[in-house]
Amino acid sequence: MNSTSLFPPKRAGAPRVVVVGLASCFGCQLQITNAEAHLTEVLGQIDLRYWQLASSEPMPEEFDVAVVEGAVTTEESERLVRRLREKASCLIAVGACATTAGVPGMAAEGFIQRPGSVYDTVPDACGEMISPRSVGSVVDVDFEVRCCPIDSYDFVDVLQQALYGSNKTLGTATMCGSCKRNETGCFYRQGRLCLGLVTRAGCGARCVNLGRPCNGCAGLSPEANLPAARAACEAAGIPVADFDQALEMFNQTNPALRDVQ
Amino acid sequence: MTKTAIQVDHIARVEGHGNVRVVIEDGAVKTVEMNVVEPARLFESMVRGRRFEEVPYIASRICGICSASHVVTDLLAIERIFGVAVSDRTRALRDLLVYGSYLQNHATHLFVFAAPDFLGHKSVFPLADADPVLFDQALALKALGNELCTKVGGRSVHPITAVVGGFTHEISADDYRALADKLEASLEFAEAAVDLFHSFEAPAIQTAGDLLAMGAPDRYAVSDSRMARFIDAALSFDCDDVDEAVEEYAVAHSAALLARVRSTGSPYFTGALARVNQSWQFLGRRAKMAAAKVGLRPPERNPFCNNVAQAVEIVDALERCADLCRRLADGDFEGTSEPAPFTVRAGHGVGFTEAPRGALFHELELDGEGRVKHASIITPTAQNVANLEADMRVLAEKLVADGASADEVRAEVEKLVRAYDPCLSCSVH
Repeated sequence: MNSTSLFPPKRAGAPRVVVVGLASCFGCQLQITNAEAHLTEVLGQIDLRYWQLASSEPMPEEFDVAVVEGAVTTEESERLVRRLREKASCLIAVGACATTAGVPGMAAEGFIQRPGSVYDTVPDACGEMISPRSVGSVVDVDFEVRCCPIDSYDFVDVLQQALYGSNKTLGTATMCGSCKRNETGCFYRQGRLCLGLVTRAGCGARCVNLGRPCNGCAGLSPEANLPAARAACEAAGIPVADFDQALEMFNQTNPALRDVQ
Repeated sequence: MTKTAIQVDHIARVEGHGNVRVVIEDGAVKTVEMNVVEPARLFESMVRGRRFEEVPYIASRICGICSASHVVTDLLAIERIFGVAVSDRTRALRDLLVYGSYLQNHATHLFVFAAPDFLGHKSVFPLADADPVLFDQALALKALGNELCTKVGGRSVHPITAVVGGFTHEISADDYRALADKLEASLEFAEAAVDLFHSFEAPAIQTAGDLLAMGAPDRYAVSDSRMARFIDAALSFDCDDVDEAVEEYAVAHSAALLARVRSTGSPYFTGALARVNQSWQFLGRRAKMAAAKVGLRPPERNPFCNNVAQAVEIVDALERCADLCRRLADGDFEGTSEPAPFTVRAGHGVGFTEAPRGALFHELELDGEGRVKHASIITPTAQNVANLEADMRVLAEKLVADGASADEVRAEVEKLVRAYDPCLSCSVH
């Protein structure tokens, strides 16, 4: 089936791109549009074929790059993700929902009881609901854009890597280092919980810079030392149970978290 | 017998996932369904057992575009329970945050989602070549909404700085003044947008149901009144009593719970058009002039006019936010935005705001440690779905009577869905 470009590419042979939203708040798709002044330049680099949020053109059969936002929460979306993986030579997961299962992932704990606690009778329109999971736990993902929501320019940066190739890899350090460089002080000194201790760096400590502790939206860093972090909580007079519960917000389905516990 | 089934799977240019089904048999409209197939994320079950500080942060993830409204609504519910009185300055900042999301939402909805319907495009992108001035100005207006939310809330989606009792960060007086200048500079384009959306032809129909909006005796209230009003039923209620006034119910074809007026059984519309009907006389000077010029004044019951009402609200938001910014810069409001101290206690409370898409209620019950025992969230779109279906029927019957083809019915029904500006991800949550 032939499909048409939503936005005429500015270069020949531009890769055909589809943008798909699963269970999410749509905020990361909005953040893509929030590149604003640069949006047409970004779109000019690709051959955009499908974006339900922005256009009534149907999803094509053939494409090169799939940009996926949202968590997988139904059998239907799991099949869709597998199909996207089969068709696309490059799959980019954007946002916490797609990369860590994010806030929807919070429902993974005791999932089986949850639909019945919200609906008296679960409507047919809900589809075949399954325990929420990240896109990366269903299929291989080539690139990730982290955080909740994504930063518009992080997306542009990753798209550029996907289009033109790059040896750049996602950092693994924890966010704590960012605060030290920013000289913003530390919430633990005030006896307040902050997840920067164990969360992946990369956002520049956006929340801490504005006076709020890190909620861990970039997901657990592979370098996170959870036993040491729990000890730091105890030393600061913060209940370890609060730390563990706070971590659930963006890491509920992370097996690393389970293994350490 | 002739049977025509119109099916639109995954209607485009709306937030979230929904299908439309209209069945016409022998010239009679048999079935009209707004099939909301958005995946249920089960937020009400997620927040149970969690501490109050986390709740606005989690609830904001219901919706990217009205995240500021979800945060403010949750804060109001929590403050109701703890008995926190916030300063005038904090109230002004919350107004700015909510209005910032109006600018973001209305500009995105009008230009990116709705306008292509009327300009004969499938998306906003062809506009970049067809009318680059309009395209650039529309994007600039959306960018200004983002900038306002970023300056006040810390980022354009999912605000950071708004917490129980106040704000964790504020910009400088000079920043407020610079923002006010920018907001005022956009007024002229916003006024032209009212004329533009008025010029688009729309079928003359009247909405089937009631209208619900926040009310206040002396202002166009969006975040600081507890009074809600059904206009037709002439029923005002305190938001704490929302369960008595509004009946939520489930249907098999929608993952969103639907809503109706409990006392009359009527579906209802909530959103910009309902607000303009409720509070027209309190629009700002230029917004009122722009509305009067195109003949938008109460009673206006054509749901397609929601587009024009949103355009008028953009003018209103720009005027109002510029004024708020200047007054914040001049220290006009009493108190500081530093979070007010409070004591955690058990209780039940409802927060209520006018989100860009309409009345939003968050009902919370907390235990003595400030953990959620029960939560119920009633979003604007969930309230609108039943009325949208009723209006789809009104529209389809009119078009069929006028001899319209199936393609024409399909196109107009899609336009109607978009005029409602549904947020299906919100509606299911």
